[in-house]
Amino acid sequence: MQKVDTFRISLLPFCILIFSIFALMIVTYLAVSVPIFQKEGPQIYTTNIWKAAENNPDEEFYGVLAAIYGSVYTSVLAVLIALPLSIGFAVFVIDYAPQKIKEPLIVTTDIMAGLPTIIYGIWGAFVLVPMLRDYVMYPLHKHLGFIPLFSFEPAGGYSFLAAGVLLGVMVTPFASSIIREAYRMVPFTYREAAFSLGATRYEATKILLSYIKPAIIAGILLAFGRAIGETVAVSLVVGNAFNIHPSLFAPGYTISSLIANQFGNAFIYGYMVSALFAAGFFLFIIGLAVNIGSLIILKRWYSHAQRF
Amino acid sequence: MIAIETVNLCAYYGQKKVINNVNLKIPKNVVFAIMGPSGCGKSTLLRSFNRLLELNPNARVEGDVKLYGKSVYDMSPIEVRRKIGMVFQHPNPFPHMSIFDNVALGLKLNGLVKSKKELHKTVKWALRKAALWDEVKDRIHEPASALSGGQQQRLCIARTLAVKPEVLLMDEPTASLDPVAMEKIEDLINKLREEYTIVIVTHSSAQAARVSDYVAFLYLGELVEVGKTEKVFEKPKSELTKRYLMGRVG
Amino acid sequence: MPRDFKEKFFLFGIAIIAVLTILPLFHIIYSVVVEGLPVLLKGGFKFLFGTLAPPGDGLGGIGPAILGTFILTFLASLIGLPIAVMTGVYAAEYPESIFGRLARVLLTIMMEFPTILVGLFVMQILVIPMGRYSAIAGALALAIVMMPYVTVYTEEALKSIPFMYREAAFGLGLTRFKVVFRVLARMAKKGIVTGMLIGMAKVAGETAPLLFTAGGANRIYFAGVDRPVGAISLLIYNLVQQPYENYHEIAWGASLVLMLIFLAIFLPLRLSLKEVKL
Repeated sequence: MQKVDTFRISLLPFCILIFSIFALMIVTYLAVSVPIFQKEGPQIYTTNIWKAAENNPDEEFYGVLAAIYGSVYTSVLAVLIALPLSIGFAVFVIDYAPQKIKEPLIVTTDIMAGLPTIIYGIWGAFVLVPMLRDYVMYPLHKHLGFIPLFSFEPAGGYSFLAAGVLLGVMVTPFASSIIREAYRMVPFTYREAAFSLGATRYEATKILLSYIKPAIIAGILLAFGRAIGETVAVSLVVGNAFNIHPSLFAPGYTISSLIANQFGNAFIYGYMVSALFAAGFFLFIIGLAVNIGSLIILKRWYSHAQRF
Repeated sequence: MIAIETVNLCAYYGQKKVINNVNLKIPKNVVFAIMGPSGCGKSTLLRSFNRLLELNPNARVEGDVKLYGKSVYDMSPIEVRRKIGMVFQHPNPFPHMSIFDNVALGLKLNGLVKSKKELHKTVKWALRKAALWDEVKDRIHEPASALSGGQQQRLCIARTLAVKPEVLLMDEPTASLDPVAMEKIEDLINKLREEYTIVIVTHSSAQAARVSDYVAFLYLGELVEVGKTEKVFEKPKSELTKRYLMGRVG
Repeated sequence: MPRDFKEKFFLFGIAIIAVLTILPLFHIIYSVVVEGLPVLLKGGFKFLFGTLAPPGDGLGGIGPAILGTFILTFLASLIGLPIAVMTGVYAAEYPESIFGRLARVLLTIMMEFPTILVGLFVMQILVIPMGRYSAIAGALALAIVMMPYVTVYTEEALKSIPFMYREAAFGLGLTRFKVVFRVLARMAKKGIVTGMLIGMAKVAGETAPLLFTAGGANRIYFAGVDRPVGAISLLIYNLVQQPYENYHEIAWGASLVLMLIFLAIFLPLRLSLKEVKL
């Protein structure tokens, strides 16, 4: 007869607790979202309407398309900025930085990755936004305003661009650390092989980067997940307006900034809480998909690379 | 004619001297074996010929290596490596590229072909030369990682040959292969000896005896003995070489 | 020769990129110090211990927010650390169990979870039933954010101990409980403590989970775990959105304080390690 493992049994409640919190979260999001799904169906995600009525819940209508649009827009911008920076930084640190400054460079990016996001927020709102408005947005709008990307007059500077740039700065260290680890893992023999064929350093780097492409994709996906979930820094610079506009300079909303802005007074309405939870659920699903996807890619790549 | 000559060559990793004052003359179009126990500096010596040692930031070289009388340290490392190709201990075709792309890579990098047609022709030529064409001709666009170890190693030889080098360095090319694959590589070396100068590093004296015209014995970074293979094997001048050949050293 | 040119351009470009990547941090530190230090000097001691000034009238102090950050971090650790460490031990000791196998994936997903969603969740399950914002709700939200980090670090620290020590400990006839907590946990102490500190540094600066849980209190000090409490990050978030000049100044001063607290925990920790997970 097997002895009862008291040790195991005494630890089990803690595990169960952690995972029931996780499960409870999913259940809560689904349960609270149900009323708005019953009332509006998929229109909660496909329309851009925000009609709150204090006394008559039947007149309320919520569509968070603008926030979804803004979340994707700003996060794509962030990833476009983070992609060259994080790859370039990883390559520089591993291949070219003098030995003495390697470690300080990595510590610096670790500080960036851990820095409280509200500090990015205040810097974004008071420093980055005016800077972008005066030196980037106005000149571009004035001279190239006929291009849809630059067509919106950048009144305050709070915009998709400001949020995208700020998010790009915030997620670059994170993406870079994943790419750096993968790049470091490239077996030395491939490096030798590339150079032995007469490759220049640029060409060898290109070959090695193509070898770690899956890890780069995973890093960028994870960065996208971080960007789309970021709340306070974004809500201080994105302008917080229901707006689906192609221009970089237009203000908008993201899902998380919508929640941050509207949730405080949502309780006086019949369906707003439910609508915001539905928006949160959407974010939840995107985050889950992005994370699981990138974890699978990373795991597959590492098991492949470790054969050497 | 001398293809490669080393002059008072020393190599260091940090403070540690791993090659001590080696003077070698490697004639053109022969198979030249460098043998010795593991850790004697064979691989380091080989990597000083094509300046691959420079990838290691701690490594330092003194003395000179000449390719047809011209110091490789006066040429650009890229030019050196194009003229002196290399095959490694572990087969290392780029696993994320196809068989074709692996062979085509060096050609594209160095701008050695002018048209797509020429590229295909040269890749085919190199695969033939490496005795791999018949085995892979129907699947040259499959990833290189799908090949067996021995095939991968011949692919690496093809990749090197495609760039049309004058000298071929081989760093224990059969050390990680099974006996059958090893035999194929050795046959291949025999076929290539007429057109190329081949420098092969091996820790197996038997292999050196089978494939080489000349042999050098390296021990703890020093050149102990060098000469025609049959001479060295029949009548080693040095006591150390004799003991190594009898299997008592290394 | 274009190949040569490309090479030079590449080396030059990559150096520029490296500078561009870290430049924002220096600009942020510079801005926070330049804007925040005068506030701290002008406000003096009162800035650290006093209560919030009325709109448009002086600096006052951010005392309740500073205290609130410490209280929230402390309470969150009280809730989160034991659960997280025990879970980490379980995952390390029973890697073949369903949970042990799923642990890493689930925890990594939780780590990357948008923290605003945690705040929303805690509001729904705790704030609404209680009828008010509270320190305990804020702490619970932070604890949920903190736990995955601590668990992963604990698991890794225990798994990194060579198997022979485990054999040796069992060989002495110790029970599993004693093997793990008396022998292995002590050997893995550094890793576990690191995880705890990383988790604490992380939540001390968090804002989003507190938005709808802690409530914020800037004119009274701590009133009880079931009452609203302030936090530096929350205060900055609220002040930045106000139209008053003096509130912006206070926000900068508070940012400097928060940055210093973060660096004081994080920097020594980071320098004593080879790498961190954030």
